[in-house]
Amino acid sequence: MSALYDQIRTVASEYPESRSAVLPALRLAQAEHGGWLPPEAFREVAEALELTPAYCHAVASFYDMFHLEPVGKHMVEVCTNVSCALVGAQQVVEAFERELGVEAGGTTVDGEVTLRTVECYGGCGWGTVVSVDHRYREPVRPEDVPAIVRELRHAD
Amino acid sequence: MSVELVTVTIDDREIQAPKGQGMVETAASAGIEIPVFCYEPRLGAPVGACRMCLCEVEGMPKLQAACTLTAQDGMVLKTAQTSKQAAEGQDAVLEFILLNHPLDCPDCDKGGECPLQDLTFRYGPGKTRMQFPKRTFDKPIPISPLIALDRERCILCYRCTRFSENVAEDGQLVAVNRGAQSIIATFEDEPYRAPFSGNVLELCPVGALTSTTYRFRARPWEIQNVPTVCGMCPSGCNVWATTREGKVARILSRNHPEVHEGWTCDKGRFTYDHLRAPDRITAPLVRVRRRGFEESSYDAALDAAEAGLREAGSSVVVAFSGGETVEQAKALTRIVREACGSEMALLPEEWDPGLEAFRSPLSAIRDAEVCLVLGDQPVLERSPIVDLWLRSARRAGAEVIQVNPAGDVQAAPGSAAQVAASLREGDVPTELKATGKRLRSAKRIALIWSDDDPSGGRHVGALANDLHENGKADVSVYVLPRTPNGRGVPAAWYEAGEGRSEPPEEGEIGALIVSGDEAAYDPRVAELAGRARFVLTTAMFQSDLTAWSHVVVPGTSYLERDGTMVNLEGRKQRLRRAVIPAGLDELEFLSRLGERFGLDIAAWAAPTAEELADLPPGDEFAWSSPDPQAPTGKAAGPGLDLVRVRSLFSGAGVERIPQLQFQRPAPEIELAFDDAESRGIAPGETVRVLSNGTSRDLRARLNRKLRVGVARVADEHAAGFEDRVQVEKIGA
Amino acid sequence: MPIRELLLQGADERDLTKREEYEAAGGYKSLRKALGMERQAVLDELLAANVRGRGGAGFPMGRKASFLPKPEDTPKPIYLVVNADESEPGTFKDREIMLRVPHLFIEGVITAAYTIGSGTAFIYVRGEYLTEFEVLKAALEEAREAGYVGKDVLGSGFDLTIVVHRGAGAYICGEETGLLESLEGKRGQPRTKPPFPAISGLYASPTLINNVETLATVPKILEMGGAKYAALGVENSAGTRVFSLSGNVARGGNYELELGTTLRELIYDLGGGIPDGRELKAIIPGGSSVPVLNATEVDTPLDFDSMAQAGSMLGSGAVIVIDDRCCMVQLGLRVAQFYMHESCGKCTPCREGTRWMVQLLRKIEDGEATQGELDVLLDVCDRILGNCLCPLGDAAAMPVASYVAKFREEYQRHIDEGACPFGGESSLEGVLAPVDQHHAHLRGQIEVPTHA
Repeated sequence: MSALYDQIRTVASEYPESRSAVLPALRLAQAEHGGWLPPEAFREVAEALELTPAYCHAVASFYDMFHLEPVGKHMVEVCTNVSCALVGAQQVVEAFERELGVEAGGTTVDGEVTLRTVECYGGCGWGTVVSVDHRYREPVRPEDVPAIVRELRHAD
Repeated sequence: MSVELVTVTIDDREIQAPKGQGMVETAASAGIEIPVFCYEPRLGAPVGACRMCLCEVEGMPKLQAACTLTAQDGMVLKTAQTSKQAAEGQDAVLEFILLNHPLDCPDCDKGGECPLQDLTFRYGPGKTRMQFPKRTFDKPIPISPLIALDRERCILCYRCTRFSENVAEDGQLVAVNRGAQSIIATFEDEPYRAPFSGNVLELCPVGALTSTTYRFRARPWEIQNVPTVCGMCPSGCNVWATTREGKVARILSRNHPEVHEGWTCDKGRFTYDHLRAPDRITAPLVRVRRRGFEESSYDAALDAAEAGLREAGSSVVVAFSGGETVEQAKALTRIVREACGSEMALLPEEWDPGLEAFRSPLSAIRDAEVCLVLGDQPVLERSPIVDLWLRSARRAGAEVIQVNPAGDVQAAPGSAAQVAASLREGDVPTELKATGKRLRSAKRIALIWSDDDPSGGRHVGALANDLHENGKADVSVYVLPRTPNGRGVPAAWYEAGEGRSEPPEEGEIGALIVSGDEAAYDPRVAELAGRARFVLTTAMFQSDLTAWSHVVVPGTSYLERDGTMVNLEGRKQRLRRAVIPAGLDELEFLSRLGERFGLDIAAWAAPTAEELADLPPGDEFAWSSPDPQAPTGKAAGPGLDLVRVRSLFSGAGVERIPQLQFQRPAPEIELAFDDAESRGIAPGETVRVLSNGTSRDLRARLNRKLRVGVARVADEHAAGFEDRVQVEKIGA
Repeated sequence: MPIRELLLQGADERDLTKREEYEAAGGYKSLRKALGMERQAVLDELLAANVRGRGGAGFPMGRKASFLPKPEDTPKPIYLVVNADESEPGTFKDREIMLRVPHLFIEGVITAAYTIGSGTAFIYVRGEYLTEFEVLKAALEEAREAGYVGKDVLGSGFDLTIVVHRGAGAYICGEETGLLESLEGKRGQPRTKPPFPAISGLYASPTLINNVETLATVPKILEMGGAKYAALGVENSAGTRVFSLSGNVARGGNYELELGTTLRELIYDLGGGIPDGRELKAIIPGGSSVPVLNATEVDTPLDFDSMAQAGSMLGSGAVIVIDDRCCMVQLGLRVAQFYMHESCGKCTPCREGTRWMVQLLRKIEDGEATQGELDVLLDVCDRILGNCLCPLGDAAAMPVASYVAKFREEYQRHIDEGACPFGGESSLEGVLAPVDQHHAHLRGQIEVPTHA
């Protein structure tokens, strides 16, 4: 069977009930499918955990970290919750929008970077918090943005 | 079992109630209404989601969802009737529910029988403060050919999704997204294809889920609901047949807690428009030489039938469908036995009167500690309700052990009788050791037989007897018949006389009486028809067999009959005629035919079911232990043993309901993982299946649980196949 | 200086993420001590310490543990579940604990598991905390190697498996029953209570759920003795807490203080006050779900009772400082947007009410609301309060109602002047909340203003 199937079965064995492995399994499937969950991914997870694709989709759609539409190779997430917003998160969002040429919620035309705003990421004392490919940068000010974008553009 | 009674106070009234009883029921028992939307005890533990039932409870600072409370001694609860706080809470909830609910009641099917409409009428705010545009969605969305979803009307009570997840366990209808964006959906807008899907129509407390076969067909005040019993399978679900202007417009479930808890499968729920199918036979047909059939009067048909039977003498064979009422079957039996002097009958099943000793309501399955299911036929396809009970047993903590080629314990096809015998004798193969041990330690056991092997009742009965005698267990036995009245029809035959003989293997027979469409489908009957000098057929629809017949009399559906049905647990239930058939019903025709032979047969079913004679009690029955036949495994080779599955969604009725076609079995072959792998077959791939000179391309479905060396195909895709099939990768 | 480091003690001086360093600083001694005690004796120490939960609700930890059946009295396994799904806006203390003193936290988990007789503990870490997850996993591996976790912990006969489980981005999973649902592989919608988790929690088994910081105090309590710990802080608020300071303050960050320290000490003495010459306008003292305090209430002590007296709550110990550039309608809108985004959708008042709040607040901010609609807003808050399945609805309604109550005149001006009096100069002006962000997969079911 596929490697994903085996990985999911291994994760599932850590739990008293295999259904508990839905989140880790979806995370594995998302990594396998380029950062998002196409319908096929739900079928694979469902098969490995003896669930239905509908169930897996229902679970995934509840959580913000699962993407049901294609995303860029890189993910930039800017916290705009209260603490960050008070210290200028919106200016950081706009700096990224300018620098990347894409609106928040979208992906650059070349499919490289997805930019989105997110709710509190838990770095409030060092706002504005930006997560770049799931690693926090804190604090980020508008003037830091060009360097971050350059770094992403040259990452590969 | 004594139940502790406690005293609770609701709206200043003291009420005695069993401890732990839900407060909604407790209030209702005293005539106090606590309004609810999400609460539905049949769906499992209450969820407290809609908040409509908010009540004030003494000692608790906040309002409580009464649906989540149970009666405890001294509890003091105030509903909106006596508590200002509760009234405000309830008013708030109703305002929130109505916030985005469209007020399209005039053209909503639910209008007039809608809980939201009713509760708004009784408790509603009367005006809206919502100044913003309401949420809009594409609508209606067909979530299947049977069900339309209007997401704007949905109030997210989660009844439908809880049914799908917790009752039917089909996992297909789900809530996706979060918060205000939550919607009810199927995966990728694929159809909700599950045998019990239609129940969500009745669970929906608003007009969000409506039936495509009932949509815009009637207003609630124009209809009549006739209480009857579903005649589509041996479960015997109680139903309402909704009629409008003499036509059946829908079927609703009518809760009998011991039989089906108010759930009904889609076959029962949606099979009624075939009553008006274009190929329905509405008048008697008599064969006229060289001119084919001619519609005739009933008198002419009776003349022809009488002549055909008289000429046949005692060489008369009757083939039952198993869908006849007991009254019908008895009438036919009397004609064959008394008028023709014949004992030749093809019965739909064998039936063992001794099983009466282990008779229990279907609901006893839920209360069992161990449920053992034997036989190659999936329970769902024979009695979907038994499948639901088994799920509910498992949820209640029972161990459900299915022994079959794709079961928890894998067994060879055709080995069910052997399995039963070995479990009784205690001499079991390794894979059954745990099962045997579990059976010996359990005190409440349900044994279920789901197989074509006619000796099943005896085997499972012998096992039950042994577990009861030696294991001191309460044992319930359920033998699942193939046909809706498979238990009542043979009982009717034997009630009129002891004997039965098989028709001769070859040579001419005088007359063949074919009773009903299901018999007309039987290949054995077709073979007999070819040898019969005279064939009298009762059928609703034209078929190959009607073409062999000399006289064809219009048949009826269960919806058009009065009479008695015996369900698989042995419960006698009453059919009530919902609509009147175009011609005579079968019983009336048989009564007139009997009259020609001097028999006095009542043309009407007796008003009560008492007429059905009692069956011999079980303790008078000596359990023989028949030698189980070893499964007829063919020589080893590259082939696979074929298990033909008779699908629930098959038969003359289902075939004539366009909206049900998607529920019929796909042209698939189920293969074990290893068998597919060794042939290089991928899931979903089309493969060639060969047997006995027949070749058919079917899609491969891989089943990790299926025993290696076995393939399963639905009956309707297995025509011409023998017991062993070759499966080849196309192009290999 | 009001700093009183207990949990974070020594973390500046040495790398306490390494087991050897932690042991050299006295780590895992409490565990050894606990394993030599009867379970009940350990529980008695926790009861004596009178430590209240650090997650937000402030329920006494010892009492919560005492609600569980004893292992010998139940046929079911007992579970310890750690709530590391820190996501209340403004809060980032558990993150610091996991990053800097993971062994202390793990020692607390092991000790608590031993105390309640749990053989399996789950640590539910918020999904976004990837680095924290990795640090924790590494520390756990070290603990395993040293025999603190696994079969026969330190030869005591006590077996413990610890599973670190990552969430996937849903605030509501910080609510304990939502967390349990999520851990069971479901949508994280809270359950109705009763039954309480102590009786029927994870997999319908008895379950103790504690927050990271709460568990990290356990080794310290055993080290000091419950009574001595209880003497820290003030009445009804024993011990220290790690306060997360953020917003318009010069030096944001985590500060571990004895309970009872005032907001002024935290904001001015430690946090360096309000930068850019601005003035203090308001303080959110316990995470975004609690009622706001205004500048005159800056001397309120950070303890449970004082905060309750001031009409607010200590919550998660997250202090958000707001200066005079902030429009309080925009603040209300942003907070409501958050809770609308995070509402699980299960119960009606929260699902429908938070959305309605957002609609009304946006209209007020746009200067298009009528007087009546301001009343409707307050009424909607009132109708959510106390009527929901879990605390999330209240978490939206309470703060917004408090903003209107304490800054009524500012709300009124939006209606009277037909526009935001800040004229586009508010610090929260135009901030793009995720709920307004275009998500293709939501298929436009909520009104999405085009963001040009």
